[in-house]
Amino acid sequence: MLAKASPVYLSDLRPDFRPFEINCGTIPAYRYSGSLAKELEAGTITPSEAVALFEDMLIVRELEEMIVKLRSGGYEPLPGYDYRGPTHVSAGQEATAVGACSALSIRDNITSTHRGHGESLAKGTTAIRAMTLEQLKQRVPNCTATTREELVEAALEEHLYRTICELFGKEDGYCKGRGGSMHIADFTVGHLGANAIVGGGVPIATGAAMAIRYLRQDSVVCCFAGDGAFANGVVLESLNWACQAQFTNELAGEHKFGLPIIYLIVNNQYGMTHRTRNEVMGVDYLARRGAGFANNNMHAEVVNGMDVLAVRDAVRRAARLCREGAGPVLLDVHTYRYWGHSLSDPRIEYRTKEEEAAWKAVDPIETFKKQLLECGVLDRAGIEAIELRVRERNKRAALRAAAAADPDPKDVIKYMYTHTKCEVVPPEFRNPKLVGPPPVAKRTDGQITYRDAIREAIVEEMIRDARVILYGEDVAEYGGAFKLTKGLLEAFGRDRVFNTPISEACICGTAVGAAMKGLRPVVELMYMDFALMASDQIGNQAAKWHYMSGAQIEVPLVIRASVGAGKGYGGQHSQTLESIFCHIPGLYVVYPSTPYDAKGLMKAAIRDNNPVLYVESQALYGLKGFVPEGEYLVPLGVADVKREGKDLTFVAWGPAVHDCLKAAERLQSERGVSAEVIDIRCLVPLDVDTIVRSVQKTGRCIVASQAVHIGSYTAEIASTIQELAFDYLDAPVKRVGAKNGIAPQSHVLEAAFLPCVDDLLNAAYEIL
Amino acid sequence: MPTPITMPKFGQMTEESTIVEWRKKEGDKVAKGDVLFTVETDKSVMDVEAFTEGILLKIVVPAGVAVPVQTVVGYIGQPGEPVPVTEVPKFGKPVPSVASTVSPPVVPTTARAVPQPAPVAAEVQPLQPVTVPHAPVAAPVFRISPRAEALARECAIDPTKITGTGPNGRILERDVRAYLDARGYHNLRITPAALELARKQKVDVLEVRGTGAGGRITVADIQRALAERPKPMSKMRQVIAQRLTQSFTTQPHFYVTVSVDMTELIAFREGLKAAGAPFTVTDFIAQAVVLTLQEFPVVNSSTDGKNVRWHSHVNLGIAVSVEGGLVVPVIHMAEELTFLDLCMRAKQLVEKARAGKLTPEEMSGGTFTITNMGMLNVESFHPIINTGEGAILAVASTLKQPAVRNDQIVIRSLMKMTLAADHRLIDGALAANFINAIKAKLEDIELWKRLTSW
Repeated sequence: MLAKASPVYLSDLRPDFRPFEINCGTIPAYRYSGSLAKELEAGTITPSEAVALFEDMLIVRELEEMIVKLRSGGYEPLPGYDYRGPTHVSAGQEATAVGACSALSIRDNITSTHRGHGESLAKGTTAIRAMTLEQLKQRVPNCTATTREELVEAALEEHLYRTICELFGKEDGYCKGRGGSMHIADFTVGHLGANAIVGGGVPIATGAAMAIRYLRQDSVVCCFAGDGAFANGVVLESLNWACQAQFTNELAGEHKFGLPIIYLIVNNQYGMTHRTRNEVMGVDYLARRGAGFANNNMHAEVVNGMDVLAVRDAVRRAARLCREGAGPVLLDVHTYRYWGHSLSDPRIEYRTKEEEAAWKAVDPIETFKKQLLECGVLDRAGIEAIELRVRERNKRAALRAAAAADPDPKDVIKYMYTHTKCEVVPPEFRNPKLVGPPPVAKRTDGQITYRDAIREAIVEEMIRDARVILYGEDVAEYGGAFKLTKGLLEAFGRDRVFNTPISEACICGTAVGAAMKGLRPVVELMYMDFALMASDQIGNQAAKWHYMSGAQIEVPLVIRASVGAGKGYGGQHSQTLESIFCHIPGLYVVYPSTPYDAKGLMKAAIRDNNPVLYVESQALYGLKGFVPEGEYLVPLGVADVKREGKDLTFVAWGPAVHDCLKAAERLQSERGVSAEVIDIRCLVPLDVDTIVRSVQKTGRCIVASQAVHIGSYTAEIASTIQELAFDYLDAPVKRVGAKNGIAPQSHVLEAAFLPCVDDLLNAAYEIL
Repeated sequence: MPTPITMPKFGQMTEESTIVEWRKKEGDKVAKGDVLFTVETDKSVMDVEAFTEGILLKIVVPAGVAVPVQTVVGYIGQPGEPVPVTEVPKFGKPVPSVASTVSPPVVPTTARAVPQPAPVAAEVQPLQPVTVPHAPVAAPVFRISPRAEALARECAIDPTKITGTGPNGRILERDVRAYLDARGYHNLRITPAALELARKQKVDVLEVRGTGAGGRITVADIQRALAERPKPMSKMRQVIAQRLTQSFTTQPHFYVTVSVDMTELIAFREGLKAAGAPFTVTDFIAQAVVLTLQEFPVVNSSTDGKNVRWHSHVNLGIAVSVEGGLVVPVIHMAEELTFLDLCMRAKQLVEKARAGKLTPEEMSGGTFTITNMGMLNVESFHPIINTGEGAILAVASTLKQPAVRNDQIVIRSLMKMTLAADHRLIDGALAANFINAIKAKLEDIELWKRLTSW
């Protein structure tokens, strides 16, 4: 069943240079004029909701005061407890965290920051208060209570216990003590993770919103990030990404829907210690950033972050916009951080005591307490009862946490990788409707090119599973710089195949967020050199979240990166960089050398639940080889003996495999030497057994790749061989790679730079 | 804090020592005075005792390596105390490189100071490895590939006899196989147990003659080969070898022998002994030598072939046979001692020598040595001078022999003494006079009566 309209869009822009003025409109600031009394009267808040806001703010402050006291040795319930870990407390910002989370539903998501205790606690407490009895019982299965009040209380204490356990690095923590304060996450209530890279969580939130949009879910993402982050490239890239016209204009077809995401700037006035306003930024209010990305200024507003009701009101309205498809929304929420960046920052170098006093005079807890008393929601005794309850609950949780079990040291690298893969596609994602016929590779004698093989794999997987989407720079109508994705837009529509801004960090970062929300993105980096633009998102986010979350979340995504070596494109378009990514635990790294492997590995990579860096060689795109039509997989981590031999082993990957095969032919014909060629196909995981078995047989080994010599993964393999097969070596293990230099443009120089068959033969002669 | 155990300095000249054996293991309880380890210096083997109590927390220097004195070799402390991370001590002294000893003094090629042209940027070579780093050029060494070595080990053969055909003469698997073929290894018959033992003990089976049925090599054959295998001499024997070789090859020896009539002295000594006096025959000879050396100071001197060094004191060495070798304790300033003191001192030193407790000081500084084989039933023998000394007196057994006294053949107790002298210092006449002066004293009972009348 094919839809009628072709998704292909042909631009028809005409020059029009008549003078006019761009009107940027206005950005409202502090438009909330309500109060507790007014809201009670209007019925927009109930007394119990107001009490919950108060208690949730107290919960945050109590936990952070505990951290401060622990570090100074003054937390009475735990005398002498050795608290290790960061002390990025957010005291003063409680209204922002609690106000925002109270305006979200349990299905909604947040991402947070290194100063994220408030948001983590508030997302949990507000979710718990909104849970059904059934959900509460699931949350605290060991609790025998039956009344809602008791179950909420038990769940709140459990929430604090698991939070403090995470801070203390205990196995019972939300992330099993692997993440800690700066990476805490609770995916069961939509908390997609605090992030210790400033701005690092923003593209993840954006990708999560993309997934929500794609899956037509009724939820939003609230992306908390500090004012300091809004100078960071990937944050600004994310704002641009979220505001793309193609999500809401005719390119979106019938699904014109802006990304459902609220970028909530926790504007506490300071980066680490630098002033954002008046020092490192040129704008007075960061809300102005909205004007740079969307004609509607991203509905930007400046909000009083010291007033929990003002924040609640702003986020409620923003969430409503997002649910209507009018997102994204930018909220510049002004608040204040009472403590320094951490407890080692005394604050006196950069701000006055008077400034601190002025902000403390509008303390969110004190001012709201006053309103509760004035409105008669609580009397003094009621306030004190809540304060005592919060303190005692925190104490009980802390005592339990301190006594809880540490993770077992033998599990130190457990959860580095998940061992699951997508064996069965859930019914709702099977056999999605196509908008046009998928591209079919033309076979001659059963052979297709490496390029077609990769495309065929992607096509098969996109037909198999609606969660597989593909995006990257110029992959849609144009079919990618190397025509690999040609025809996919026409087959799968712009919902699943779309062009992106030139934002490599966002391409990879949004894929992480989308994967967290259940998609299986395949993204393209036009040249592998550009992976360095996205190194944080690949190395710190994609690779680490399964482990840092204590295996709460899997990040199934494929990053395709194309190597341009051999084309005379010079130093920034010719690099073979897979070795760098092998050094980052948490990633799988594959590099096929034949059309057969390219298809089978791509299909396996898409189905694997680990993030996979899939490296392609532009020099091989035109290589033809036998590729079966239809279903087959090449398992990750299994090497392939491309040629059998008994005197010498070549271990290689990528284009070097073909050089090795040629060298092996010449060794046979010229010297009668029988060389074996092993194509490892996957660098991580590495098939050590196949390599070692071969070296045990031949006693000689040359490890080859196109990477520059220094720090190349060839060294890792050589080292592994000498460790595991030392007694079988009849000669030192040799390595062949590119020269220790930068890829030159000159054809003559590049030929000298890249490894060649003669290099392999010379290496062989040296050890034969 | 754990207390560090340091390598003691046994003598003024000791710079490094080797722990022969730790008598305590890590974790053992140690009481004050317990023997911690045994040390071998170039002069002696001694026990080192604990001077503090606790647990031996860590052994830093294992047995078998030489370390400078005062090096921390271990720690004693309380259980669980953290032990400081100790830098691995540098073993031995740095050997100056050959290049530095032969490099000629730098001579400026031009007298005038010529201003150097400023370096052009393009000429500056970057400090980076442009190509594959080269292994440093080393002296020819035995090279064998791990695979070849594993094969040789498997076959229990000595790979050093194989000629390598690989790069830099490295022995490769093919070389081992060719060698095995050439040596007829495959015709070798050996029991599995013998092969296993040969592998373990690194016995080259190609060098073992089989005595089993049909020439099969058996465990007994391997054990025989093991017993015949050269083993390193003890440190003491190595020192003996080195010192005696030095003496015998640099000090030209010659010998004079006299026969001493000990009949009366023995009778005199029997009397003293019956009265409870402790004197041994050696004591009389020692006393006689001490007295005579003062009359012949040239004998109590030493030379390096150019200079003569005269010693103002008589430091008398007495060779003592001990387990595994011999040591020479020295009675310093023997001329200052009474006969009784001399006797007591000698007795004390001999006992210490037999117990292995001589200090390096007690074994050095000798100017003349006596070696007595009287109890070993020899008629005479030619000793080797203790290195650095001018002469040595060898005392043989006292035997009843026919002797002519007043033209009558009578039975007397005669003892032959041989002086080995360094001819660079001492000529024949001097040696003859010297040894006859000793002889005269030993035969002069009146002298001994005087010396023992107190």
